[in-house]
Amino acid sequence: MNRQLFEYHPTIGYKFIKSLKTRVAHEAGGYLLRTNNWGFRCENDFQIGKIPGKKRILFFGDSFTAGDGVSNKFRYTDVLETMLPDTEIYNFGLSGSGTDQQFLMYQEYGKDIECDVIVLSVLVENIRRIKSHYRYYYNDKNEKVIYAKPYYDFKDGAFQLFNTPVPSQPLTMEELPKEEQEKVDTGGRFGFARSVVNALGLKEITQKITKYQPVPEYNESNTPEWQVMREIIKQWKGMAQAKLIVIPLPLYQFVEETSDASNYQSRFAELTTELDIPVIDPLPEMRKYTMDERRNFRHKTDVHPTAEGHKAMAEAIYPELSKILEQ
Amino acid sequence: MAHRYILGISAYYHDSAAAIIMDGEIIAAAQEERFSRVKHDPRFPVNAINYCLEEAFIEASDIDAVVFYDHPFLTFDRITKNCAFAGESSYPVFNSAIKSMMGIKIWVEKHVCKTIGSAGKLGKIIFAGHHMSHAASSYYPSPYNNAAILSLDGVGEWSTTTIAKGDGNKIELLQEINYPNSLGLLYSAFTYYCGFKVNSGEYKLMGLAPYGNPTYVKEIYDHLIDVKDDGSYRLNMEYFGYLDTGKTTSAKFHELFGGDPRQPESAITRKEMDLAASIQVVTEEIVIKIARHAQKLTGSENLCLSGGVALNCVANGKLLKENIFKNIWIQPAAGDAGGALGACYVAEYMHFGGTKKTGDNKNDFQMGSYLGPKFSEQEIEAYLDRNRYPYHKMEYTEKNKTLAREMDNGKIVGFFAGRMEFGPRSLGGRSIIGDPRNPGMQSKMNLKIKYRESFRPFAPAVLREDVNKYFDLDTDSPYMLLVAPVQHSIRKPVEPLAGASVDDMIPVINQIRSDLPSITHVDFSARIQTVHTETNKAFYDLLAEFKAQTGCSVVINTSFNVRGEPIVCSPKDAYLCFMRTDIDVLALENYLLFKEEQPNFDDKENWQTKYELD
Repeated sequence: MNRQLFEYHPTIGYKFIKSLKTRVAHEAGGYLLRTNNWGFRCENDFQIGKIPGKKRILFFGDSFTAGDGVSNKFRYTDVLETMLPDTEIYNFGLSGSGTDQQFLMYQEYGKDIECDVIVLSVLVENIRRIKSHYRYYYNDKNEKVIYAKPYYDFKDGAFQLFNTPVPSQPLTMEELPKEEQEKVDTGGRFGFARSVVNALGLKEITQKITKYQPVPEYNESNTPEWQVMREIIKQWKGMAQAKLIVIPLPLYQFVEETSDASNYQSRFAELTTELDIPVIDPLPEMRKYTMDERRNFRHKTDVHPTAEGHKAMAEAIYPELSKILEQ
Repeated sequence: MAHRYILGISAYYHDSAAAIIMDGEIIAAAQEERFSRVKHDPRFPVNAINYCLEEAFIEASDIDAVVFYDHPFLTFDRITKNCAFAGESSYPVFNSAIKSMMGIKIWVEKHVCKTIGSAGKLGKIIFAGHHMSHAASSYYPSPYNNAAILSLDGVGEWSTTTIAKGDGNKIELLQEINYPNSLGLLYSAFTYYCGFKVNSGEYKLMGLAPYGNPTYVKEIYDHLIDVKDDGSYRLNMEYFGYLDTGKTTSAKFHELFGGDPRQPESAITRKEMDLAASIQVVTEEIVIKIARHAQKLTGSENLCLSGGVALNCVANGKLLKENIFKNIWIQPAAGDAGGALGACYVAEYMHFGGTKKTGDNKNDFQMGSYLGPKFSEQEIEAYLDRNRYPYHKMEYTEKNKTLAREMDNGKIVGFFAGRMEFGPRSLGGRSIIGDPRNPGMQSKMNLKIKYRESFRPFAPAVLREDVNKYFDLDTDSPYMLLVAPVQHSIRKPVEPLAGASVDDMIPVINQIRSDLPSITHVDFSARIQTVHTETNKAFYDLLAEFKAQTGCSVVINTSFNVRGEPIVCSPKDAYLCFMRTDIDVLALENYLLFKEEQPNFDDKENWQTKYELD
């Protein structure tokens, strides 16, 4: 029995079911997952007003922030909460979401919450999700089905939101128009080659040899994907009730130095120079660990961070975040 | 103060399970079959363990001890020695057993670590012992501070029958009968011979018994079993095959009873009815003798029962009537599944020296056996919305009024409320319910809901305060483990059947025997569940509403499943069962679904072949 974790949401597509208390089976033995009174995977119940004497940070992100693969208490947000004095963290992480959905979540749930800092944790791979209009999921019969997602794009000179209200029912590939079939996120580049290499157990060696670049969308400032990402972040900053900070969370290929991170680092650095948005890059600190330690930052086959990986991320983020919070 | 968590596991034989206790209190217990959807699933209970940790909401590394209910090396010892004794003919048995043992059983610890990521704070597994686990499962959650403890099952390690004494937080094993002499295996031999599945069809044999006459009792005593006055017994192994052939019975057994075993799903004849009646009588006589002996040995006025034989509720009812003990408590998960819970207690009290809670001789610590998962309204609504199943969300009292009215109108209800039951019986957490006054209900439920033989009676669930109004019983029976006669005041005269074949049960079944025909067995008995507001308010309130509307405080209560399927666990399982059968209304907590409003059901799974008949 796997409990259903998500429910339909007309604006975001889906979100966690409220007040869940479950244990998810996993290759590392399983992890505890609790959702709060608003339906977010957070140990703190949400309320609009701040608690006197406490600072508050809102974190938005995908499964790296939601904490797939580890119990709530081991996530980098929860570790940070123990490191930052008199600070409560609201975790809005949603597994499988893109920056577009996270922005919508902020508008739907976060914009009225009193806080000191808003953190957008962008798993660098999210750039691919924001250009997709659909995603694959597995239903309770373990069948692969396609669900629509909301997305932003430039059209007729304006930045617009599409696919809302999000259709609630699953689709098949055949039901999609030809041009939309290419907009289904299949989970990465080179789909067929990837499945063959993975099946042969040659993933890591192949990536090393080929210097695999998982996110070429960051190669130039003018790629359509980066343009959309940059615009979302720009609009978010314009709307935010507190200082917006961006944290690009690295994929393991960048931590373990099998891929070149400089392009995505340059793009995020532009957010500071061009939009005056503080960016905390945890990668340099995470690369200070030994290669063996870094390999333990992710699970054996699941690429999500282990408790060690989360701890390392928290320690890498903490110095700059605490400084910003003091300001 | 830090709590002490103990995880108990039973696995690899049949009906594997997991349980978890905190400081001696049960947090959760569940059978693996409910999650895997494989009836009596014997595999390592990965899902049940996951659920137990979910309910306790702790990390695997926070567990103080992981305990296995059996000692695999002792089981291995028994198999090896028996095969050596039986000689060359037992090679197939030995071969199969050694593969199983070497492949899995001795690697329990590795399996635990691989499954949940840790063997707990002890870093190793405690092996509790099979019959000690059974004994602990019935004594520690009982309401008694001392008791005679009887454990009767097929086999566990070497033992098949044990008498123990519980005193405070200690259990002392006093006497045992060892394999191959086994009351459980004797009963199973007749189960097999009558065409039912061993380890799951025993309750069918028990249900068949009242149709027969005990004409084979003498043959059984003369040839199969030698019973002494103290209840100790020896089987004549010439009549059994499980030592050397892997089969339950031998050719000599077949010769004694006049032919080959009945083929499953073929017509049941007078012979099977009489055999069922005979072995039932023999079982009851032996159980009563052993119980008398146990009372003498322990001097206690309380009895705790466990092991598969303790699920024979007809024998339990007879034992109660004998008044050998003032009080009897039976572990509702009496079979191997309950061993997981017993294993927890063995560690808590005998390894860590915990203090047993003082009992009041009335209220047990089993929590009504509602020890499985619960699903919130948010989860149910999310499931229904995702699948676009039409439903009506109702207020609690309105829901009960609607369900009572539907039952009064002859409708059958799938009732899903609160935590799932631990043990083989549905007790109002996951139940199919209906009106017992309706004469056609037994046949409808058997043929259109359960898809099974129509000879089997249904059990009544009755408000505790009204039990004596309908039944000759005035004690708690919350776990449906006691059989008692229906009161004479509600019985109907039964005319002898003229011209009916002695092999044909149908005319007998169709005779109206009481005001509650659907739950009255051919011998005017009923397998009773008393419903208590303290342990299941939702079910109690529904029965109270049914009483308010109809004057009847009894409903039929049968397990929420089709034949051969494990009892439903989740809203999804319940919906599938609802759509595959003639259940009219499904109540998922306060969400009601009516069959006529549901979309066409495209069932891709061929469940009628997936789930075998017991």
